[in-house]
Amino acid sequence: MRPATLLRRCALILLASLPLASLPAEAEVAEPPGLWTGPMVGETPATLNGATVIDVPTLEGMLEGPVLLIDVGKAARRPDNLPEDTLWKPVHRSIPGAAWFPGGGAGDLPPEQARALLGRIDELAKGDKDAVLVTFCKPNCWGSWNLGKRLVEAGYRQVHWLPAGIDGWQELHDAVPVQPQPGWPPEGE
Amino acid sequence: MGMNQNRRMACAGLVLAPLLAIAGPVLAAGGTDQEREERWQDLRQSIFGERPVEDGVGLITLEAPARALDAALVPLTIRIAPEQRDRVAAVHLVIDDNPSPYAARASFGPAGDPAVLRLRVRIDGYTNVHAVAETKDGRLFGTAAFVKASGGCSAPIGVSDEVAMQGMGEMKLRPGGPDTHGEATLLIRHPNFSGMQMNQLTRTYTPARYLDLVRISQGDQTVLELAGDISLASDPAIGFAYRPGEADAFTVLATDSDGGSWQESFPIPANTQ
Repeated sequence: MRPATLLRRCALILLASLPLASLPAEAEVAEPPGLWTGPMVGETPATLNGATVIDVPTLEGMLEGPVLLIDVGKAARRPDNLPEDTLWKPVHRSIPGAAWFPGGGAGDLPPEQARALLGRIDELAKGDKDAVLVTFCKPNCWGSWNLGKRLVEAGYRQVHWLPAGIDGWQELHDAVPVQPQPGWPPEGE
Repeated sequence: MGMNQNRRMACAGLVLAPLLAIAGPVLAAGGTDQEREERWQDLRQSIFGERPVEDGVGLITLEAPARALDAALVPLTIRIAPEQRDRVAAVHLVIDDNPSPYAARASFGPAGDPAVLRLRVRIDGYTNVHAVAETKDGRLFGTAAFVKASGGCSAPIGVSDEVAMQGMGEMKLRPGGPDTHGEATLLIRHPNFSGMQMNQLTRTYTPARYLDLVRISQGDQTVLELAGDISLASDPAIGFAYRPGEADAFTVLATDSDGGSWQESFPIPANTQ
């Protein structure tokens, strides 16, 4: 967000925060009926039907037991026309122990990718539909909402969504470099 | 966290930034020190080969916000200690966790003064930023700052590509203020497309197009030659210092990665020395 925009928005919010202000508060984003296929970066709903929305302190408590952390943050894409001699060393930092499926949060994954994603998660969860799952990416990222939705629809009963994402985690904790899950994305893509 | 809350936090940041910079949780280099140091050593090897980077205390400093208000526009100031200025030939800027980490190299000519260099950069994640001074005899002295920023390299520019490219190559030169005597800021209109910015509606990436060289001269003497990369923010602002010279104008040559080339001259701000 550019500073001018930010300032304008701040001005609006400050106005909206005044008790007597007549400006309406920003409308809540409603949950879409299915997976979200619109722009992947933007305001997300406050809820995810069938899943639990958590913050970082709640996650800290949960991490005392077994938790499957699933990161669907995007991988950095090397620009096609970047000169060959440009130093290119992308690193993806995540919550320690997280399984990373770059781009796995798309709402319109081809069926074979969706199958591969759920298949790998089933492996990691050892086939247990009561496994504790946490999905995340960055703030304002529909990807982790979508994956949460996908997992609920796949029958998992303990799906958690961390909207604060990796940024929220990094406020207080280490984030470590991770590699994409083996076999992801499946060949042919 | 909803966007709303984010904005409020960003707003609080605008007001509280100076306090937060001091009072925020201090995680030395963001936590995983050893792994971050390994990454830096790997980058150092790629950029400088076998040359070690020595501790730059007393020679070079890097001023950076602890938390970026806008990850696509993070102001950085690199300073060289006055008594060390004549030793320094170049300054390198490395943003460790950016996908393209080697953000800029500034070489100083006879009319240049390494005392201060100000740049605005894109920062992609919570990362160390290294500034490295290179002396005329080839030694390297470094310093680092940890910056909390997110997504600066892929942040959309906020307007259409066409609008962002309007007036590309136009330049302005701002003289320094009373406290920054002998300094000036060069502003160049250029989107500096990173190649990582996606148009959310068409889902296509705008190809990279960035300033790869900016040379500022006084007459036939070079002040500064800046080699840039996709990590420089759009509409680059380059703050630099210079030595009084014979010529009465700066000449600026800027070229970009698409073969664009622009040249301008500016009268040198009145010298009060």
